[in-house]
Order: sequence, then structure tokens, then C-alpha cells
Amino acid sequence: MLRTSKEAILGFTRAKAMSFFAILATAFSLLVLGLFSLALLNLNALIRYLENKVEIMAYLRDNADPGLVGLALEDLSKLEGVHQVRYMSKQKALENFRADLGPDSDLLQDLETNPVPASFNITMKPGYRDTLHVKRIADEAQALTFVEEVDYGREWLRWIDIFKHVVSVVGATAGALLGLVGIILISSAIKIAVFSRQKEIFVMKIVGATNSFIRRSFLLEGFLKGAIGGLLAAGMIYTVSEIFSYKIRPVVAFSDRYYLYILLAGALMGLVGSWISLGRYLRRI
Amino acid sequence: MIEFHNVSAGYSRNSRVLEGISFHIDKSEFVFLTGPSGSGKSTLLKLIFHELIPQTGEVTVADFSSNKIKRRKIPYLRRKLGIVFQDFALLENRTAAENVAFALEVTNASRSFIRMRVARVFTQLGLAGKEKCFPQELSAGEQQRVAIARALVGEPFILIADEPTGNLDPAISMDILRLMIEINTLGTAVLLATHDYSLLKGKDDFRRLHLSAGRLVYDGSNGNFAPVPED
Repeated sequence: MLRTSKEAILGFTRAKAMSFFAILATAFSLLVLGLFSLALLNLNALIRYLENKVEIMAYLRDNADPGLVGLALEDLSKLEGVHQVRYMSKQKALENFRADLGPDSDLLQDLETNPVPASFNITMKPGYRDTLHVKRIADEAQALTFVEEVDYGREWLRWIDIFKHVVSVVGATAGALLGLVGIILISSAIKIAVFSRQKEIFVMKIVGATNSFIRRSFLLEGFLKGAIGGLLAAGMIYTVSEIFSYKIRPVVAFSDRYYLYILLAGALMGLVGSWISLGRYLRRI
Repeated sequence: MIEFHNVSAGYSRNSRVLEGISFHIDKSEFVFLTGPSGSGKSTLLKLIFHELIPQTGEVTVADFSSNKIKRRKIPYLRRKLGIVFQDFALLENRTAAENVAFALEVTNASRSFIRMRVARVFTQLGLAGKEKCFPQELSAGEQQRVAIARALVGEPFILIADEPTGNLDPAISMDILRLMIEINTLGTAVLLATHDYSLLKGKDDFRRLHLSAGRLVYDGSNGNFAPVPED
């Protein structure tokens, strides 16, 4: 193992340009993929944030029977996808309105009656905050005789739906393409690195090195190069994420575990790439 | 030691480079393998170190038979051989000593053993003082000596040389030949493939195998052999 490690490290330093190229290809591919994942993570966080704002307001008529209102609140709460139904009395609604107006609340002082209606404020569970589910609950609320009007930001919700769809389709397609390009780039870099050392493999074979001896040193070298590439990519992604967090808040950062995954992905790509590239030369003589 | 029994071989099923070759080489023999370019000399050598397996017949090298050997055992057969090529096949990014030591490192020999053996073979081949030189800092003749040192450091029973003087001028070529004869007198068999007939001048007593168009047309040492002219 000691000799294998020595060969791996020597191979590294002796073919500096090729090693550098393989490390750079790995780092670049993982950097692009990592930054793309980071952007996707933040877009999804933005979608979640926007979805959290989704709520249905059902405004009640002034003459609504309190008994019926209580029963309806209970029934609405039990509907599939409903997270919570809060009743807001006319008085509370007026207080809130007053608070919203702030210094202009004096405008309301001359009113003889309370013009603000009581309402049901319905929030949805995660996964049900799309047009289809929200509209179904809004229709249920609208069907109640004492409900005058229902508002759920129809247009707003439609845009969220479109945004979500675009993010998921573009995310999956671009992610797959970037992943593929990354794999091709890394495997080409490793192939060139192995190709540049085919004389060394030939010499190893004619002096009686076993395939496992040759494979061990090349695999260890590939593993190290991949891990260094992964480490570089992780460092750059961390830096980019920190800069964005500092300049544009709030930004969702990767957890520490994710950086470890990037490093391991690099190491694994180096290992598998070397294994595949080496196979051809080992079979030849 | 090395035995060819009715061997035919080629690089694809439909083509044969060698046809019906039979001979044997005994311990400590010196044998020239001659023939024009394309006559099958290199192919014959590849059969010895099992880079190529015969299509028919059998090649036996020490205890290894081409008909029975498992792929994973081939490296152990090669450790019993010393192989030298026309282009030296030295690794440019290693020093002369590292190139030679490399042959023992792959066998997992101990570091002290490798040091001792490398020093001995450098002295034997007149390379003392050149240990730390990189191949490009050495003359062609010295590079071939380093290649021979690498072939000998594992103490093989036979040194197989494929056109070892092909890249050398006549004077250096004679030096290398003299060195190989010296090595042979110390007990190592030598099989030297060449199409440079000037090397054979005055070597009438040496055994010679001559190939022509993939067939062994001469095996002897009577000195009256006239080389087959190249087409």
C-alpha cells in the first residue's frame, strides 16, 4: 500500500499538466453543478416563501348567523388540504384596518357603522397551495350562503404555478445536461491523463507488474485528483454562497454535509473514471 | 527453458505472422534471431513474454505453458525475463536509478534489497555515477545500458532484446553487443533479435535462428549462412 501511495503521489507530480487538467475539469464540473443546485435550492425556497403567503379570505355578510358561522368554520377546517381556518370578527377586522392605516386612522373616526366585514382566513397545508386545491376550497367557502365574497389572489397563484413548473422542468433538464457534460469532461480529462502515461503502463507490464498493482496506483491517483477537484469546487461554492449571503439576504446556503458530498462526488468520479480508462490499456498487453 | 512447439500466431483470426515454428533455447545460450523487417521477429518475442498467445502449438517458458497459463500469472512469467527494446522504453520523468529500481518495486521487493541490487547492476554495466541522471541527460548508448540494467536487475534467466541497436551508431552498437556477450558469459541466456547483419560479423560460432516470411528457415551455427536479402 505504501508503494502504491508513493506511485500515486509521484504520478501526480510527474505529470503535472495532466494532473492539473484533470483536477481543473473535476473542479469546474462540480462547481457548475454545485452553483446550479444552489440556485435551484434558492428558487425552491423562494417558491415556498411565496406559497406561504397564499391564503383564502372569505368575507361574511353582516347578518350571518353566528351559530352557522361556527359550524361552517368547523366544516371548512376538516376539508382536505386545509391547514387552519381563523374567524376574524368585524370588530377585530376594524382594529386591524386601523392599525394598518397608522397615522391616517383618524379617517375612520367619523364612521357611524363598522364597514369592514367579518371573515374566514383560510390557510392551506404545504403541497395544497396550488391553484387546483386553493380554488376547490374557495368554491366550498363561496357556496356558503352567508359568504359574500371570496378572494384568494387568483392571478398571483397562477404565476406561482407557472414559476414552479418552469423551475422544475428547467432544473431537471439543465441539471441532467450539466451532469452529463461534467461526466464527459471529467472522463475525457482522466482518459487523456491515462493515455499520456501509456508508456509507463507498458513498462510496468513488461517488468512484471500485476494488473492490480498498476490499477491500485492509478485508482488512488484518480481518487486523489477527484477529491482535490471536489475540494476546490466545494471551497468556491462556499465562497460564492457567502458573498451572496453577505450582499443579498436572505440566501439559502448548503448544509455542511452537502460540501462533503461534493468532495466525495469528485473522488468517486476520479476513481470510476480511472477504472474505466485504465481497463483498455491493461487488457492490451 | 524456452520451447516453441509447432507454433503459429497472428494478430487476427484470418492472418498469420508466424507459421509452424519449433525450436528451443537452453540455459546460458546466446542466440541471434535474424530476418528482414516484417519476418515475424518481434511477434516471436511477444510470444515469449506472452503479450501474444499462439493460435496453434505451444510456447513453454520456464514452467509456464501458453496453453495452460492464466492471465493473472503472466506478470510472474515476465519477472523471469529481462526485456530490452529498440526505443529503450525508459520513463523520462524518472532518474536512471529509479528506472532500474522500478522493475523491482513492482515485485514488492524491500527497499534495502532494491538499493543493493541497483548499485550492483550499475557497477556491472559501467553506469556508476549516472544514477541520478534523467534519460534525456544520457547518450543513446547509456540509455540502452540503463534499459539493459533494468532488464537484468531482477536476475532473469534470459535477456530478450528486440533490435537493441536499432537507434545506435555502429560503434555503440558493437559496445552493446559486447556487453550482452559479457552478460551471457555470466550465465544469463540472451536472445537478440536484429536485422543489422553487421552485428553478426565474426560471430559465426553463435547460434542463429533466421525467419523469413513468418517461417523459421534456419537454425544453426555453421557460419556459412548467407542472410536472406530484404525484399
